Amino acid sequence: MAGRRVVVTGLGAVTSLGKDLRSTWEGLVEGRSGIGPITLFDSSNFRTHLAAEIRELPEGVEPPLRRRLSRTDVIGLAAAAEALADSGLDLDREEPARIGVVLGAGVSGLLDSENYLRALLAKGPRGARPTRVLNHPPDQTTDRIAERWGFRGPRSTITTACSSSATSLGYAADLIRHGLCDVVVTGGADTFARLTHGGFNALRSVDPEPCRPFDRRRKGLTIGEAAGILVLEEEEHARRRGARPRARFLGYAVTSDAHHMTQPEPTGEAGARTLSACLAAAGLNPENVDYVNAHGTATPQNDSAETAAIKRALGPRAYEIPTSSIKSMLGHCLCSAGAIEAVATVLTIETGIVPPTISWGERDPECDLDVVPNVARKTRVRAALSNSFAFGGNSTVVAFGAA
Amino acid sequence: MKGPVVVVTGASAVTALGRTLPDTRDALASGKSAVAPIEGPGVPERRDRSPAARIGSFTTEPELPKSKARRLDRGSQYAMVAARQCLADAGYAMKGREERTGILFGTGSAGAGPLTEFERQMVESPESASPFLFPNTVSNAPASQAAIELGIKGPNVTITQKDPAPLNALFYGRMLVADGRADALLVGAADEWNLDYHLAYERVRATRTATRPGFVLGEGAAVILVEDEDAARARGARIAARVASVVSWGAPVSPQRRRADPATLAGVVRAALEEAGAAPGDVGLVHLSRNGVPATDSAEDAALASVFGPEPPRAVSIKDALGENPAIAAVQLALAADALRAEPTLGAVLVNAFGAGGNFLAAVLTAP
Repeated sequence: MAGRRVVVTGLGAVTSLGKDLRSTWEGLVEGRSGIGPITLFDSSNFRTHLAAEIRELPEGVEPPLRRRLSRTDVIGLAAAAEALADSGLDLDREEPARIGVVLGAGVSGLLDSENYLRALLAKGPRGARPTRVLNHPPDQTTDRIAERWGFRGPRSTITTACSSSATSLGYAADLIRHGLCDVVVTGGADTFARLTHGGFNALRSVDPEPCRPFDRRRKGLTIGEAAGILVLEEEEHARRRGARPRARFLGYAVTSDAHHMTQPEPTGEAGARTLSACLAAAGLNPENVDYVNAHGTATPQNDSAETAAIKRALGPRAYEIPTSSIKSMLGHCLCSAGAIEAVATVLTIETGIVPPTISWGERDPECDLDVVPNVARKTRVRAALSNSFAFGGNSTVVAFGAA
Repeated sequence: MKGPVVVVTGASAVTALGRTLPDTRDALASGKSAVAPIEGPGVPERRDRSPAARIGSFTTEPELPKSKARRLDRGSQYAMVAARQCLADAGYAMKGREERTGILFGTGSAGAGPLTEFERQMVESPESASPFLFPNTVSNAPASQAAIELGIKGPNVTITQKDPAPLNALFYGRMLVADGRADALLVGAADEWNLDYHLAYERVRATRTATRPGFVLGEGAAVILVEDEDAARARGARIAARVASVVSWGAPVSPQRRRADPATLAGVVRAALEEAGAAPGDVGLVHLSRNGVPATDSAEDAALASVFGPEPPRAVSIKDALGENPAIAAVQLALAADALRAEPTLGAVLVNAFGAGGNFLAAVLTAP
């Protein structure tokens, strides 16, 4: 199966900046913030009150089913529909067994199951309606997508917290490279819940203000919601049907820090190991890399450790490469962060526009890369990396290149 | 895919029938079952209560000191003990191999305990909920806690895809080894039983009671060490079995529905045999997916009848005794490797894992 190469032929997105790919990308290029007051639950008892919520859910799921679905499944299906339409695939002419679905997920329908658990605590078993607890499993969106379009290929849901959907892209590409699929619908969807807000607050990792990646004053992240779906396809398969690839998937690396459950390895050694492994897998050297889509959560520890990792892996070239965090606009979309950031990375390569790191005002000597402060930039991007680091020391870096 | 050759060099299990693989194997052989009524604080009175296959009191010692275990959720404790046992069984020394070793787990329930406890604390007072609970609410806690403890620096991935999740991990893991991303992978699953979710599954009539069929929730962890064959031979490992095939098919079924048609399941089994280069007559043992759900159990029976004809191989159904969830599918992989090590004349062992939502996987392990 050597020689099977992977291209991106379809993209879909639902974010706090818009309910489709175009509005999301316009928002990112204009440097708009999707962050605002929390509306999905009462946050008055929490220390912080901001999130990048999706204000308006997309249409496209018929009402009887929509009532049963979690928010996550609704945005996941909508982004998948957009990505499949964007790919131009005529599904009537495709073999369903050759189409796989691999997503990253985790929080998923937790908000639904939180409502059950709260009712259970308050009113006992008779007062709690359990049916929507079944929306909680993270593999729900993956199965919903396969069910809706009748895909019969391999399926998987990666659940490694904040690196989930980045790793899903690698798994998806492997299915194509190894000849097990011609097309894989991949990426992820994740939404907001009390648990994630409460959890990051308990860790004192949420900034009371909108998050400020790479800024000296940064105090932590802002949680976001997003679905980002990519249609990956075998290059010859795409060529035969006359599709125009948006970009190439060049390679990825997935590793373990073996350091700490919540703290990044501070010297950047572990992150650099992942970055270097990704460059090797993608056949790149630092000179070919023109953009790094940073993990850039805006926690004090992540941004300095990530900067150190990029410098270790890319050497002096690191200072010449624009390195931005779109979490400054979309918040940290947790298990779908890697997916929506991959969508943005592909569009960056395609359009040559690097989205900025907004809310940036004060330079941090430990975050001294070119973070594309506040305003998007036009430049040529031949190849780009996107970083994802998670609780548990799960690290993934993916590489895309021009088609 | 004509799969890359990976071999199994170690196996372990922590189950409700024993805290090691040999204990579990012997208990199953003597016909013991861990399925029992659920008891304890917080279990509401109800006549038609679903049973569960729970582990009960558990110590992580000697594999992990109590001082370290205290900070871990149940699923992570099971995972840690099973991972250490597996490495010992394989005679695998981590030192010097950290970056060439990975861990791939499946799970359905990891994090449930810390998650429900954190929710409870948040209801009382959001700002006083424990920051120590939250990091273990993630599904990758068992695999990642084990990676941190054992120093694993290679690929570290957790997969949630219904009950076949550890077969899914094996399916992905073979590609990782083939691509040279690791020489050895701990592949398995960990799950913990949780009262709140038990009550939910019972209320939606998914689990078995005295008056209706269904599955029984189980818990535990099981791990196999899979290695690139050359790397295993180079370190002088004793090879228990070969992973001859793993097949993953999807069918468009609503996510929580347990429905399967016999022709599709027969197709999965035939594909697994074909990829393994095995004829139906080569199979000496089948680990059934059977879990008490009539629709999928009867579809599996019909599928096996169509593949194997009038003289089927011996088939065992451990979920009657250990319950259902990804950890139990991993126990089946561990038992399959263990059986081939003890009795190579079995030839090939088929492991079926037919989950809800149309997630159908099968693996064939063969004697080395």
